[in-house]
Amino acid sequence: MSMDALARLREWIEPILQNKYSRVGFFIILFIVALAIGAPVIAPKHYAEVDPQNRLQPPSLQHLFGTDELGRDVFSRVVYGARIALWVGMLVVFIEAAIGVTLGVLAGYYGGKVDKVISAVTDMVWAFPPLVLALGVVTLIGPGLVNVVTAVAIVSWPTFTRIVRAKVQSLVNREFVLAARAIGESDLNIMLRYLLPNVIPTIIVIAALSIPSAILSTTALSFLGFGAQPPTPDWGAMVSNGMPQLPRAPWVSSFPGIFIVITCLGFNLLGDGLRDILDPKLKV
Amino acid sequence: MTDPLLRVVDLKTYYRTSAGLVRAVDGVSFEVYKDETFCVVGESGCGKSTLALSIIRLVPYPGEIVGGKIIYRGTDLLKLPESEMRKIRGKEIAMIFQNPMNSLNPVFTIGFQIAEPPVIHFNMDGRSAWRRAVELIGKVRMPDPEVRARNYPHVLSGGMRQRSMIAMMISCEPKLLLADEPTTSVDVTVQAQLLNLLMNIKRERRMSMVLITHNFGLVAEVCNRVAVMYAGKIVELGPVREVFRNPVHPYTRGLMKCLPIGTKRKEQLYVIPGQPPNLIEPPPGCRFHPRCPHAMEKCKKEEPPLTEVEPNHYVACYLRR
Amino acid sequence: MTVEGLRKYFPVKKGFFKKPDWIRAVDDVTFQVFKGETLGIVGESGSGKTTLAKLILRLIDPTTGKIYFDGTDIVGVSKKELRKYRRRMGIVFQDPSASLNPRMSIEETLRRPLIVHGIKDREEVRRRVLDILQKVGLGKEHMKKYPHQLSGGQQQRVAIARAIILNPDLVVLDEPTSSLDVSIQAQILNLLVKLQHDLNLTYIFISHDLLTVRYVSDRIAVMYLGKLVEIAEADELFYNAKHPYTATLLSAAPIPNPEVRYVKRFSLVRGEPPSPINPPPGCRFHPRCPYAISRCRTKEPVLKDVGGGHYVACHRAEELDLSEYTSGLWKIITESRVS
Ligand SMILES: Nc1ncnc2c1ncn2[C@@H]1O[C@H](COP(=O)(O)OP(=O)(O)OP(=O)(O)O)[C@@H](O)[C@H]1O
Ligand SMILES: Nc1ncnc2c1ncn2[C@@H]1O[C@H](COP(=O)(O)OP(=O)(O)O)[C@@H](O)[C@H]1O
Ligand code: SF4
Ligand code: SF4
Ligand SMILES: [Mg+2]
Ligand SMILES: [Mg+2]
Repeated sequence: MSMDALARLREWIEPILQNKYSRVGFFIILFIVALAIGAPVIAPKHYAEVDPQNRLQPPSLQHLFGTDELGRDVFSRVVYGARIALWVGMLVVFIEAAIGVTLGVLAGYYGGKVDKVISAVTDMVWAFPPLVLALGVVTLIGPGLVNVVTAVAIVSWPTFTRIVRAKVQSLVNREFVLAARAIGESDLNIMLRYLLPNVIPTIIVIAALSIPSAILSTTALSFLGFGAQPPTPDWGAMVSNGMPQLPRAPWVSSFPGIFIVITCLGFNLLGDGLRDILDPKLKV
Repeated sequence: MTDPLLRVVDLKTYYRTSAGLVRAVDGVSFEVYKDETFCVVGESGCGKSTLALSIIRLVPYPGEIVGGKIIYRGTDLLKLPESEMRKIRGKEIAMIFQNPMNSLNPVFTIGFQIAEPPVIHFNMDGRSAWRRAVELIGKVRMPDPEVRARNYPHVLSGGMRQRSMIAMMISCEPKLLLADEPTTSVDVTVQAQLLNLLMNIKRERRMSMVLITHNFGLVAEVCNRVAVMYAGKIVELGPVREVFRNPVHPYTRGLMKCLPIGTKRKEQLYVIPGQPPNLIEPPPGCRFHPRCPHAMEKCKKEEPPLTEVEPNHYVACYLRR
Repeated sequence: MTVEGLRKYFPVKKGFFKKPDWIRAVDDVTFQVFKGETLGIVGESGSGKTTLAKLILRLIDPTTGKIYFDGTDIVGVSKKELRKYRRRMGIVFQDPSASLNPRMSIEETLRRPLIVHGIKDREEVRRRVLDILQKVGLGKEHMKKYPHQLSGGQQQRVAIARAIILNPDLVVLDEPTSSLDVSIQAQILNLLVKLQHDLNLTYIFISHDLLTVRYVSDRIAVMYLGKLVEIAEADELFYNAKHPYTATLLSAAPIPNPEVRYVKRFSLVRGEPPSPINPPPGCRFHPRCPYAISRCRTKEPVLKDVGGGHYVACHRAEELDLSEYTSGLWKIITESRVS
């Protein structure tokens, strides 16, 4: 069984490693994931540990990335921050996919009125600048990390819907779906057993490509003060907190900033590579 | 017979894929004479298209001609530089593909596309080339040539597209026409018309033709000599009447016997057991031996050469000797 | 099964405000299929064969018409009721690679019909899947495979197995062999004939290959632009075709015998198949028919019995002698073959 799973894993990873870009992306993500998992071991300090004696220290061997205005170790906070970033990114994309894929499959399969309604709603949400809309939602439901995650997910599922809908439409008239109806399969079963498995590669690609924008949106909201509340080591909040000290202590903002960029880049490269492997014709 | 127009000698074309070396054409030799219709027949994947593409040196990546000679009117095409080869394509040797939609350019009118080759090869001026194009469209019996010339490919039916393709291919009066399954994507009635047209044009312009097909009916209808291909090799070659009257190779015999003709309705048909081999690791010896009812020990080890069993009738099988 | 006045029109939108045109894919088709027989359906592409097949299985809704299955009209029945009838009908499509779910194993593909129709007992499901695999000539080792791991011929065997696993009465076969190689085609034809004999199946066999249709069919129906133009006992249709369109088809079929080439061949074929949008008035074949008379242009011929269950829709059916066009094909069908 475990041998089998191992073989499966290799089947997935090998093509990723063969492509130059996705290989880089893969290792970046692996690095970030390692940071997140190993945070307690890697970070010399706890992320909330305050040290009033050592405020705004520049990077040194003791404090690799320096310290912030409360004397917390920036490196430790960045390392713990990887947990938040990954968790937030994946959660947002998971919720997005849950909404988007459901609507996309329904619209693509039923067509007609169902499709018209879903497409209208999708286009409406799509038409708003996502950050503005998310801001609106957060002001409505209040600040906090979970609320930010919900807000970002609520505004950015249309990508999934649009692509999944188009994909399902192209599958629905394929003969294997007709054949499924001919043996008397119910609509639900056709969607779950015949259509969904065939859009999963596409979903994986969109998901990987959506994580960066999910992370960016949530960090942006955190930067604006709506997201994670102190002392949560959210990268966006850290960049925001460091802003006043930027001229004196640039390290406080820039290290979390660099990690945001690297993580997004990693997912983008990986997503592009996955697309080439799984669904070369897909346009996101 | 006179000197052949085209002589293919021990041609080998392989595709280097990640799964391994695909020996699509593996040591094929034959001749095509003037005015002749030469058919290549075989099941899908046996290397027919690759053979045709090799003759005009258009084998797509990752394919490569790895050996042999293609002697056209005394010159070995495989030795020509690409610039010389371009002068041969269209002007001396033209090719018609199976799917006319993929081989016509959707953004130009068919008149423009038919006018193009003479402009390239004979420096014909645009106006007379257009006039010739209209003439050719009439020649391939499309109604209202003037109107049709201004049509884009997508508004034409499959049959009309294939007619345009034929017009384009004969516009430089080639001496040899390669036709790869030219009628596979059209209906029987349209097929009959296209075949009639091709044969008439061929006779009129004294062209030779290599017709590639998987349909024994077409072979019997139009060709003079036929080569049967199996797994990258020619297994039988001869005059069409002779091959149909007296097929010798067990594969040829099997193919003819398994057609649902000459039987009562619902009577058990003869079958060739198994399926064609993959060309990455073809069976050793005679490639047909795993499916052959007469296979002997020798067949599994040594490859039977193509030998003359009767005048002009060649077979690659140990059975007769 | 009886089909009566079946019609299916597809709208084609021309512009936002214009009224849609209609493609008359199947237009007033009436015929019967008897238990245990094979009814062959031939016609050029676009003549409505596949649409007819989908209508019969109720995969699409007819515009009008009735489909009686064992005496019940299944056009009006509820979704739930329809499932009962689905169990008694199967379908096999032309392209086996497209008709199998690429992400479902062969075992699962074959289990689904059983599970959908309430056979839940694991042992029984397993037994029936193994049994059907064996019937279509596939081994146990194929169960865990996915469609792309099988050859075209094997995929078609799986599609056939799926169509017959519920012991249906009627199986609709839409060009089941036309995407297969000659040598594989014979294997599948033998299988179909054997299954029909063993399981007492009724077939509707759709094809554009006349030789194949004649081989499997008891009766053959010829379609042209959505209409049934001729229907007769199989051999009768071949040596005694009465409709000029049938004769055209027969005269155009390439015959695998160089001895009979060029005998009065191709001479009946003229024009291209017209578009099924706004088909010609009167007899739809008249623009291509060499025998057309003025009446053909205005009055639509109806299917008439010309004796012995042979029906023709042509004004001149009785007076025309078309045997010279069909003799070539008949000769090859009846005469000897490679021994
Ligand atoms: N571009 C390619 N890359 C790799 N392998 C190829 C390529 N084109 C053809 N082949 C392989 O070469 C062999 C011969 O192919 P070819 O297309 O010449 O056969 P064919 O007889 O024309 O078949 P068909 O009737 O299906 O067109 C097959 O095994 C095929 O899979
Ligand atoms: N879903 C559809 N929408 C519009 N036109 C269709 C549809 N399905 C079939 N048709 C048209 O109906 C006619 C008959 O089609 P079909 O039954 O597929 O023919 P065949 O099987 O004989 O090739 C064709 O003109 C085809 O374009
Ligand atoms: S050489 Fe042997 S195996 Fe090959 S066809 Fe002849 S008898 Fe059969
Ligand atoms: S009715 Fe007239 S046009 Fe139609 S097939 Fe008969 S003779 Fe020809
Ligand atoms: Mg080919
Ligand atoms: Mg069809």
